[in-house]
Amino acid sequence: MMRRPDYSAAQMAALLRKELLETWRDRRALLMAICFSLMFPAMLAGSTIFFVKMHTEEKTRLALLGVDNAPLLEAQLRSADLKVETLSEGEPRQLLAGGYDLVLQVGEGFASDYRSFRAPELYLYVDSSSASAGRAERHLQERLGQLQQLIAGQRLVARGIAPQLLVPWKLQVRDVSTPSSRGAMILAMVPGLLILTLFVASLATSVDTSAGERERLSLETLLLQPLPGWQVIAAKTLAVASMGWLGSLLAITALVALMPLMPLAELGIQQATTAAGVVTMGLLLLPLALLVAVVQILLALRSQSFKDAQTQLSILQLAPVILLMVLDMSRVELSDHFWQLVPLVAQQQWLKSLLVGDAVSLPWVLAGSLATLVPVVLAVALGARALRRERLLNAV
Amino acid sequence: MIRVESISKRFAGRPVLENLTFDLPDGRITSLLGANGAGKTTCLRIITGLLRADSGRVHLGEIDVAQNPMGARRQLGVVGDREGLYERLTVEEYLTLFARMQGLGGKGLRQALASVRDELELEELWRRRTRGFSQGERMKVSLARALVHSPPYLILDEPTRGLDVLAARLLRRTLLRLRAEGATILFSSHVMSEVAELSDRVLIMSGGRIVGNGTPDSLVAETGSANLEDSFVALAYGESRRANEEVPA
Amino acid sequence: MEWMQRLLKSLILMIAATPTAVTMAQEEPTAKRCYLDGWGDSLACYRVPVGEADNREGLAVMVAPAVNSSGREPLYLLAGGPGQAASDLAPLLNAFRKINREHDIVMVDRRGAGRSGAFNCGFEREMPADLQQFSAELAECYLQHPGFAEQLNSRQAVEDLERVRRFLGHDKIALWGGSWGTRTALLYQQWYPQSLRALVLDGVAPIDTKVFLAASAAEHALQQLADDCAADSGCARFGNWRGELQQLLNDWNDTRARTFPDALTGAPTEEPMLRWALANAIRSALYDPAAAAQLPYAVDQASRGNYLPLSGLTGLFAHSSNGMAMGLTFSVACAEELNRITPEEVARDSAGTFLGSAFFDLFATGCKSWPVQAKPYSAPEPRAQPVLLISGTADPITPPVYAHTALGYLSDKQDLVVRGGGHINSRRGCIPELIAQFLDAPDVPLDQSCVADIQRPPFMVAAYGPAVTVDSQSQPQQAGGQL
Repeated sequence: MMRRPDYSAAQMAALLRKELLETWRDRRALLMAICFSLMFPAMLAGSTIFFVKMHTEEKTRLALLGVDNAPLLEAQLRSADLKVETLSEGEPRQLLAGGYDLVLQVGEGFASDYRSFRAPELYLYVDSSSASAGRAERHLQERLGQLQQLIAGQRLVARGIAPQLLVPWKLQVRDVSTPSSRGAMILAMVPGLLILTLFVASLATSVDTSAGERERLSLETLLLQPLPGWQVIAAKTLAVASMGWLGSLLAITALVALMPLMPLAELGIQQATTAAGVVTMGLLLLPLALLVAVVQILLALRSQSFKDAQTQLSILQLAPVILLMVLDMSRVELSDHFWQLVPLVAQQQWLKSLLVGDAVSLPWVLAGSLATLVPVVLAVALGARALRRERLLNAV
Repeated sequence: MIRVESISKRFAGRPVLENLTFDLPDGRITSLLGANGAGKTTCLRIITGLLRADSGRVHLGEIDVAQNPMGARRQLGVVGDREGLYERLTVEEYLTLFARMQGLGGKGLRQALASVRDELELEELWRRRTRGFSQGERMKVSLARALVHSPPYLILDEPTRGLDVLAARLLRRTLLRLRAEGATILFSSHVMSEVAELSDRVLIMSGGRIVGNGTPDSLVAETGSANLEDSFVALAYGESRRANEEVPA
Repeated sequence: MEWMQRLLKSLILMIAATPTAVTMAQEEPTAKRCYLDGWGDSLACYRVPVGEADNREGLAVMVAPAVNSSGREPLYLLAGGPGQAASDLAPLLNAFRKINREHDIVMVDRRGAGRSGAFNCGFEREMPADLQQFSAELAECYLQHPGFAEQLNSRQAVEDLERVRRFLGHDKIALWGGSWGTRTALLYQQWYPQSLRALVLDGVAPIDTKVFLAASAAEHALQQLADDCAADSGCARFGNWRGELQQLLNDWNDTRARTFPDALTGAPTEEPMLRWALANAIRSALYDPAAAAQLPYAVDQASRGNYLPLSGLTGLFAHSSNGMAMGLTFSVACAEELNRITPEEVARDSAGTFLGSAFFDLFATGCKSWPVQAKPYSAPEPRAQPVLLISGTADPITPPVYAHTALGYLSDKQDLVVRGGGHINSRRGCIPELIAQFLDAPDVPLDQSCVADIQRPPFMVAAYGPAVTVDSQSQPQQAGGQL
């Protein structure tokens, strides 16, 4: 064999340069990657802001019907959250349709029943199909509950019983979460979405550089050059991974940049993601970006055409992400260290920890990243073999 | 010298090439003629090492293409049946890429680039991305890429297809220059006038076989035709009819 | 390319921040995770070494970390008593949730209180109703720890607080004081003004005010209650219940004391309800407007021979000594308050009040068994830190008049007065929100209009509780009468 290995690095560098130039000059792919990378942090921030606004700022409008039967209610129910409007008459259904969140109706005989200890009825009309129903009911129950407790207390005192007898014990709740770990509620989806970003951002590029090159027959020219197939696959993998990786970096950065705008403190959540955490997250995603890139390239090379590759990859890329979300939602216990050796799951777990400001174990991260890189190497070797397949050239 | 020894190739059980044997002498231009589906492209791909023959050997000088594909690729310049350009790279970037992949660097690289740029009149195109290039411009870039590492063996698959007059003239001029410098050139075509004008030798393929091999004049004489086109028709289609009768579908 | 610069900056920051973070970690005291009753989230707990052999464990310091560490000054909570522990203020964190978003909230159990070696003299749950016995037990306790009793005082509490501030690495701090905690806060302001950014004082006990002279204040609160009752259509029916209360206390005798029902067990009482204890129980009811709202009915019923409601009401305060470390209470009260009160002042204060000297006597008797030296304060000097004062007009122990008359030396103060409010109003209505606003911008005048929305809870008008209609024409029915 007349190999000239001293050229190998320069050849590889030239090829890598070409792949990167092609990748980063592909405006459509770039635009798609950037859009998706920015879309989900923006959506997450937007929905959080909206959610908090809805739950903390909105006042409940209560229409009180028949207040003459129990004027006490009006004064005692009114609070910062609960706006009480007394109406002499009205049809509950129409009132609910006309801007009231709740309608509370006091019956005719309320006062006399109350005085004679015959628990009179209060009628609460609610439209449970309305988005505000739950919050409105909570606001009312809060006030009504306090009043109820006050009256029950007075009734006990009247009979010589200390009201604290109603409280046989005090339940002290001790929340072991931390203000930062509470963020896990909101941030639970983020690792999955970051990984999805990685997939989506590298999709167009991976199809273009494999199925696209093949369809344009430039792959043939490339294969006629004196350099081994693994270099071709490796260069393409690096270029594709660069796009996916930078997409996910952009998403992380956007997310962290948007966090101060999100009313996390109102939810008792501490923003715990540090600059160092962001950098760590980026580094953690690099091996995964390589794996995703090389797998996408392999799949695209296998497919019949450019279009076919796009379709296949769009479907296939959802699979691991859905799997991650299912794992997350089904609360499969992933805390066992060995899960950190499973690509995707490992990165998801690490991202989750870093997002809430927890530390990740360096040896396990190294081991897990290695476990992600091993299939990358295997896939590159597999890709090099695939380049020698004749079928690759025949599809035109 | 390119030596093709009894190569055969089947695709999905169907024979595409059957026991091809021929030599291509140095300093000569050989054209490969054949109807569509005669096996020209497959034959060229086996010579370049893109495909492996089921049996038989191809040598570029001393190099066995199947056993030392890397060595072979350093000796080869290939212009495929489409140009294989990268639309998002400029001509300069494109040619630099291939020159580097062929192991050129430093001063050698600069000289090689300057040489193909001047020869193929690429100055105006040099810093433009290849997207939107005309067929002739694309061919020029493609040829420059095939020549940038000065390979002794040059394989061209239908290089004149869709070329305007000026580009075709440039191509001819370049091929003649290379022949004068001793290069071994093989190109496929079905434009008879061009073949007759350029070729020192002609190979005619039909049904996966060589049915004619000689100088244009000798082929005309052999078939008793008035010109090369008639002799090609006689050799290619006579042969293919016979082949169809022999080989069960 | 601004984003580029920002990115670079953040990278530089990150690189620069890492080594500092490491060195910080070495200096920063180590905290343990802990919990306090009444607050569900975990806290960072420290032990701060102070004193000598008597306090080997160090001060218990509990920090509710800010959700966002935005660098705002921490808020230290100072408990009342004297003798209450700051850790008992943990339930206040529920109301201070918004403040806690930006401010660390720090609770320091002062020496001799709560988790810093509670000096409770064995009075864990209940105080003996018999003053002589109480006095004797107290004396015994004093004799066992005379040195410790002598050194507990406000000066020491302030010095310890300052030590904690430095220990935690805090620059300027804000103080929230409740009741006696306001005294500690005002003294801290005198001695360490440079450490202080702002003060929130709820139920103010100014330095010069003799807060143990509580009879007039209690009488004033009761009178307010009577006025508000008379203005309420349901409560007005009880007529001159204030006079009936006086009659009840005047006529109180051994038989009544012994037959007074026990609101917790339902059985006849084991400890007789002595007259001074009853008067103090009524005084205690005035602390909390919700309890006070039941007083007219309870008194009215008692005047008709039904002592059950009064018993139920006093039952609310069955465990009155809960949380107070009596040793600490007496060390501070005797050294700083009781010794500066003359018999003439007591007579003047208690004249014509329902309480008389019933409250003062408890301390006066106790201090005889607790012979610590007088530790007088010097006259307060002018101070300019922003101060937010919170008072309830019907507070029986620290009425608004204290804040209004004895804090002339403070140049920057705002005053929140809750009409009909009792003792400590920080949790009520919009007050937590106003405190949060004040801490955010102590120099900006607050919009106080929402304070007027805070109302007295409804009066109990009958066995069924409050009137639900304005004109309660029907006669109150006997319990179970309809069944």
